[in-house]
Amino acid sequence: MTRTRDYARIGLWIALIISLVIWMLPLVFIIFTSLKSEQDVVGTPVFAFPLNPDFGNYAEAFENGNLLRVASNSLFIALIKVPIGLLISALAAFALARIRFRRNRVLLAVIAIGSMVPIQVAIAPLFQVISNAGLLNTSIGVILPYIGFGLPYQTFILYGFFRQIPEELDESARVDGASYARLFWQIILPLSGPALAALFILDFVATWNEYGMALVLLQTQDAWTVPLAIQGFQSQFTSSYGPVNAFTIMTMLPVLIVYLMFQRYFVSGAFAGSVKG
Amino acid sequence: MTAAPPRRPLIARRRRRRSPFVTALPFLAPALLAYVVFVIFPMVESVRLSFFEWTGFIGTPQVFVGLKNYVKIFTQDPVFWTAFGNTVIWVVLSLIIPLTISLVLALALNRPLFGRNLFRSVFYIPGVLASIAVANMWRWIYNPNYGIGQSLGTAFGLPWLADIQWLGDKNIALYAVFVAFVWQTVGTNMVLFLAGLQAVQQEHVEAARLDGANAWQVFRNVTFPALRPTMVIVTVLTFIGSIKVFDLVVGMTGGGPAQQTQVLALWSYQQSFGNHQYGMGNAIATVLLVVTLLIVVPYLVWTARQEEK
Repeated sequence: MTRTRDYARIGLWIALIISLVIWMLPLVFIIFTSLKSEQDVVGTPVFAFPLNPDFGNYAEAFENGNLLRVASNSLFIALIKVPIGLLISALAAFALARIRFRRNRVLLAVIAIGSMVPIQVAIAPLFQVISNAGLLNTSIGVILPYIGFGLPYQTFILYGFFRQIPEELDESARVDGASYARLFWQIILPLSGPALAALFILDFVATWNEYGMALVLLQTQDAWTVPLAIQGFQSQFTSSYGPVNAFTIMTMLPVLIVYLMFQRYFVSGAFAGSVKG
Repeated sequence: MTAAPPRRPLIARRRRRRSPFVTALPFLAPALLAYVVFVIFPMVESVRLSFFEWTGFIGTPQVFVGLKNYVKIFTQDPVFWTAFGNTVIWVVLSLIIPLTISLVLALALNRPLFGRNLFRSVFYIPGVLASIAVANMWRWIYNPNYGIGQSLGTAFGLPWLADIQWLGDKNIALYAVFVAFVWQTVGTNMVLFLAGLQAVQQEHVEAARLDGANAWQVFRNVTFPALRPTMVIVTVLTFIGSIKVFDLVVGMTGGGPAQQTQVLALWSYQQSFGNHQYGMGNAIATVLLVVTLLIVVPYLVWTARQEEK
């Protein structure tokens, strides 16, 4: 009995190793290509190891893709959008979870719907709104709609989290004469550290990766974010395969680093989403 | 004069009993403002504009045309039906293939195995990458001259394999793009399933085993019922993620060849911004909205009922 189980386990393990290798291959291929000279890209198969690694592709891509500029645009947008968006969502979630006003369930449902509707449904009029406000091709012009579209999901998750904080805490604070504002800042927020951290990380990555809205709202190269630059680089230098792949890899590095550093938050974020979704 | 004295306590009582909504308002206001201006208004405006003919340029007239845009997209726009069909194919495939793979992976990685955390991390990695970066990666992998098909075909002497135009053949392109989608989404769903599997009572599994249930019976009768709430969430999230597919298609085919990989989200965008047919673009967006709501609203009603129980 245990024998067969051991064999089954080893079989499973080997199957997983094979799947893992297959899963890694696309990344491995583009890393190989990014290190090959043009000659080697054309002359050797995709899966051939780059025997004469050519790091020049990275320098070339960094320069031609204006990486410093677009990465700082993306970073600026994310560093403003994520904390403000989270704070606004937390305030709303607090009101929904703690202040019993009429129709708060209806409001919650309206907000929940917003987290599920694709942005493409509203993208054309959104362009008009931003354009009329004179904010096209500016960072603020994407930060505002990013906040709007990020709110529903975060509010929803935080609502679930706040509901799990025992209400006796509120009551004792209220008896002591604390206002709702103090309750929020001094009790609810400090207790929500893990949820806020998870949402922060997830939202940072999502903001860094966002393409659809940026495509419409940021049309000048100076204002481009990283995903726009990836696509722009690809169409401008179509057949410089080495630099194209080097550029893609460089743009992935920040999120990969964030992921590896804060892995547990991705899992707990997913967990919060699945338990309280 | 006689009415004056009781007035005071009344006000005081009123203040104490200030409507809860008024108390809640300062907390809600920033969110509501951003939500209404940047989400609700554009969505409603989208529906309104679907009844107009407009180029989208400010200063040009918006002409009310009633249902004409809808009649056009349903009867005279062959691309719309291609996009609609492809979106349906995409959603259906998404609900079958990546979901099954991620469930199998989650079940496998829920056991104590050597290197389990490494496996989990690696499968999850594609999920944190930008879709547009994933699209460009796979575009290179599918490159007809130097990509994987060509390399393998040459290496093994299989000219037919080397000749496949992964993204250029209208019968294959959509599925080639879908492979990239599977690669990207499996990990995320796997993590959700793993989270859900924590709700499975180990004692129940043991009890079933002692009663002589085989692995499949344990899965069907113990694991699967406990996974149901997760299953519903993953299904809804997959539906939402797949009906709005945009980045991958833009990055890999741009809707081509000959519009054969066109999907609703992309076709709406191209009608509005590429062809300056704002009315048509917004009519397609409205169709997308209605289809989404048809799934999302029943789901929310269902969750609300569950919570009341």
